[in-house]
Amino acid sequence: MALYVKKDDDRDEEAEYSPFSGIEKGAVLQEARVFNDPQLDSRRCSQVITKLLYLLNQGDSFTKVEATEVFFSVTKLFQSRDIGLRRMVYLIIKELSPCADEVIIVTSSLMKDMNSKTDVYRANAIRVLCRITDGTLLTQIERYLKQAIVDKNPVVASAALVSGYHLLQTNPEIVKRWSNEVQEAVQSRAALVQFHALALLHQIRQNDRLAVSKLVTSLTKGTVRSPLAQCLLIRYTSQVIRESSMNSQAGDRPFYDYLEGCLRHKSEMVILEAARAITELSGVTSRELTPAITVLQLFLSSSKPVLRFAAVRTLNKVAMTHPMAVTSCNIDMESLISDQNRSIATLAITTLLKTGNESGVDRLMKQITNFMSDIADEFKIVVVDAIRSLCLKFPLKFRTLMNFLSNILREEGGFEYKKAIVDSIVTIIRDIPDAKESGLLHLCEFIEDCEFTYLSTQILHFLGIEGPKTSDPSKFIRYIYNRVILENATVRASAVSTLAKFGAMVDSLKPRIFVLLRRCLYDNDDEVRDRATLYLNTIGGDGSVVETDKDVKEFLFGSFDLPLVNLETSLKNYEPSEEPFDVSSVPREVKSQPFAEKKAAAKKPTGLGAPPAGPTSTVDAYEKLLVSIPEFSTFGQLFKSSAPVELTEAETEYSVNVVKHIFDKHVVFQYNCTNTIPEQLLENVTIVVDASEAEEFEEIATKALKSLPYDTPGQTFVAFEKPEGVPAVGKFSNVLRFIVKEVDPSSGEAEEDGVEDEYQLEEFEVVAADYMLKVGVSNFRNAWESLGPDFERVDEYGLGPRESLKEAVTAVINLLGMQPCEGTEVVAANSRSHTCLLSGVYIGNVKVLVRLSFGVDSGKEVAMKLAVRSEDEAVSDAIHELVAN
Amino acid sequence: MLLAVLIANSEGNILVERFNGVPGEERLHWRSFLVKLGADNLKGVKNEELLVACHKYVFTPCFPLTLTTLFSPCVIKYAKLLIIFLYCFNLVSEAMFVVTSAIKDVCGKPPTERLFLDKYGRICLCLDEIVWKGLLENTDKDRIKRLIRLKPPTEF
Repeated sequence: MALYVKKDDDRDEEAEYSPFSGIEKGAVLQEARVFNDPQLDSRRCSQVITKLLYLLNQGDSFTKVEATEVFFSVTKLFQSRDIGLRRMVYLIIKELSPCADEVIIVTSSLMKDMNSKTDVYRANAIRVLCRITDGTLLTQIERYLKQAIVDKNPVVASAALVSGYHLLQTNPEIVKRWSNEVQEAVQSRAALVQFHALALLHQIRQNDRLAVSKLVTSLTKGTVRSPLAQCLLIRYTSQVIRESSMNSQAGDRPFYDYLEGCLRHKSEMVILEAARAITELSGVTSRELTPAITVLQLFLSSSKPVLRFAAVRTLNKVAMTHPMAVTSCNIDMESLISDQNRSIATLAITTLLKTGNESGVDRLMKQITNFMSDIADEFKIVVVDAIRSLCLKFPLKFRTLMNFLSNILREEGGFEYKKAIVDSIVTIIRDIPDAKESGLLHLCEFIEDCEFTYLSTQILHFLGIEGPKTSDPSKFIRYIYNRVILENATVRASAVSTLAKFGAMVDSLKPRIFVLLRRCLYDNDDEVRDRATLYLNTIGGDGSVVETDKDVKEFLFGSFDLPLVNLETSLKNYEPSEEPFDVSSVPREVKSQPFAEKKAAAKKPTGLGAPPAGPTSTVDAYEKLLVSIPEFSTFGQLFKSSAPVELTEAETEYSVNVVKHIFDKHVVFQYNCTNTIPEQLLENVTIVVDASEAEEFEEIATKALKSLPYDTPGQTFVAFEKPEGVPAVGKFSNVLRFIVKEVDPSSGEAEEDGVEDEYQLEEFEVVAADYMLKVGVSNFRNAWESLGPDFERVDEYGLGPRESLKEAVTAVINLLGMQPCEGTEVVAANSRSHTCLLSGVYIGNVKVLVRLSFGVDSGKEVAMKLAVRSEDEAVSDAIHELVAN
Repeated sequence: MLLAVLIANSEGNILVERFNGVPGEERLHWRSFLVKLGADNLKGVKNEELLVACHKYVFTPCFPLTLTTLFSPCVIKYAKLLIIFLYCFNLVSEAMFVVTSAIKDVCGKPPTERLFLDKYGRICLCLDEIVWKGLLENTDKDRIKRLIRLKPPTEF
């Protein structure tokens, strides 16, 4: 053992000898017999207990018999007077957690220790007893525990308080009776006792808002000395502030002075907790934020990584809502870009990207370039995402940002990283028309040397859609044809399709594309040859496949209107025979998709993974679903589908949400229902809608759901008629009606007879915003000018006293349901005025642009000037009516 | 709350683990994730450098808990020994320092796997004094040193 000397920590080659090597459970259990020796060898016993602890920590489990045997032997060790051994005994009893009928064996020994004159015995005995005890024993020892809480020895008091904290979960009634003692302990001079007492007291009172508020009020006056307890108190204070702000809107924020005072505490832990609490206050003003930001700024240059990380992470969060408040830290933040800890560096970068102004973008990008080379892909993805947002915020800077993205695209990196970059370039191309040509060329350069088939095919597909619309499509052909020569079969096939798209869209290129496609006829892969043949025949126009130019374009560019899953299933079921496969036999009904998946899908960033018309893809799915239902197939084109509105609370028996589908003359409510009770099968599920508060709506059809088994989402629909083209509004209350049948959990079979039942759902409204599609414009000024002042309507409105300017802006955006443009939905923290630009498409496919100018006076009265331009005078007026009402 | 303290050797074998409030079925995932995380972060790291939140926080493994927002794993490396913490923010950075300094104290010098195993029993006692089911119980290292020998603390 003494031979083991090691100077260099990283010299792993040296052989190590473990004192536990070759340890085996059976042998250790044999050794445990020494516990029964009449002459106890304390040292040996301690060693055996250590081995038992090691085995337990390695995940070895003892059988009931083994555990009982060890436990009984261990109890014999109470005879020993050796202090070290006694401490080990306490530990092993807790680790063995004996079952209730065995506990009795040690109870008396532990009770004796609990009343011992040696305080440390008492503390340990309390902890062990509370760990292994049940309710009945607890009532017997309650008196001792209450005394222990107010014991003058802090070790004993803490042991009792921490035990109480854990016992509260199993025996709340008993622990709640100790309130007076615990309250006394909160005033203790010992720091840890104060901390434990405060934690327990809050836990006891946590469901009583008033009591927590009283506790906070009394303690914030300054009796808490322990930094740990101070941190807890700050948390409880934030909770009280949150709850009280829901009730009162006006006046000074309660307890703010206390939080601000904590920023001057001598413990860093307390300062940080207070700063975080202040930044997380709802509707925090920049005046309130300033002192917190100042202390966090000091932490940015701390020598401790924990503090630097905590500060930069907090500031990063603040930057999302109050970018202007964080700008004062930019210089310190820039020095963190070179921090050794990459988490800190990445957070600093992403914060700077949020807080920086347009003029600083170039400088920032230079710094990031150096930083990117030495971080892992995962961090790089975060940076790429931040750059994409920055580019959309400052569209004029797209050249710098696009160059940066193209440079990092050429460097080494894994699939996810490359995909993030490509997705970002694609998003920028879609949102900033000026960026299209250069962006496409960067993507072309990338596929020249791209090792990922998936990305190559996706880019080729995108190129086929966007390339022909550029000023000089011919320059892309070389890149595409190179793929036909150099790549694998999958990429070659994609390249053939892309070539065909150029041929179909650009007449001047058609003859040359034919030459290239003909060469593909000799490819050694079937798919490539087949595609080339098909395209030559379609675009070549011999009339054998499609009739007209329009058909060609429809064939090449039209959306594929069959659900791919259904097509796949049908193809798998098709058996080769004389009869050819009939595409029209493929069902068009979209299979219901679990909500969680839908939500996950909705969160994914749009990029290559999504089709070009990204946001409308869900609408497409809805449209297909509705068309497939005969009752609704005559309603015409679907204008808009809302996001799902939850009609039940989380984790209730039945989970229901509603999607509002708006048609010109109709509204269809799609209720997505999930049954979360395994023992129930619901049948004939319908929603009974009371539309008495929606006068302009008349119910015309209902589609029931035949069966709703456990955890399989299903849909039921109710359709209403409304006046044509009118944005009718109203409130709808809903009751879920069904027949419930018991299901045998073992066999999964439902009983034959069911009982009719109802379940009350929340109500929801159809509002004006439901008639507005969020459609952004890349350059608002150009769009505004091109609409012209003919149908412009301008008026001013008083919005009354508001919590903040930001709140007023958000309320108006939500009311109109339009897309904020150029990042104007973000209101600078201390500004007195703000301009917000919105765009959208109103029902009847009328393009609408809105320019909102807000101003706020010292009494928080908000005034708003609303300027609307649209393609239709009546729509401009309608927008004003929406606001006026 | 300190959700987990894992002490592992560089081969990823866990020597001590204390989970608090992490459901049983999740522990296996956390265990392998945390140990891998510790090992992954060790390249070129100096001894005792605190790797705070050096986790790959973009791709959270398949846990219902969200690593990024709620919990930050933290790793401290000694020769062939990783001490990994999974904690709710801030309060428990205190616990981290207590645990590491207690281990260093028991080992008498920067711990190695061997020293750690030699003093295994005493280290278990230290952990028992410092944290019980995630709640910080003792923070002063001298006091802990006395308590594991069943000696009363000196300060009162």
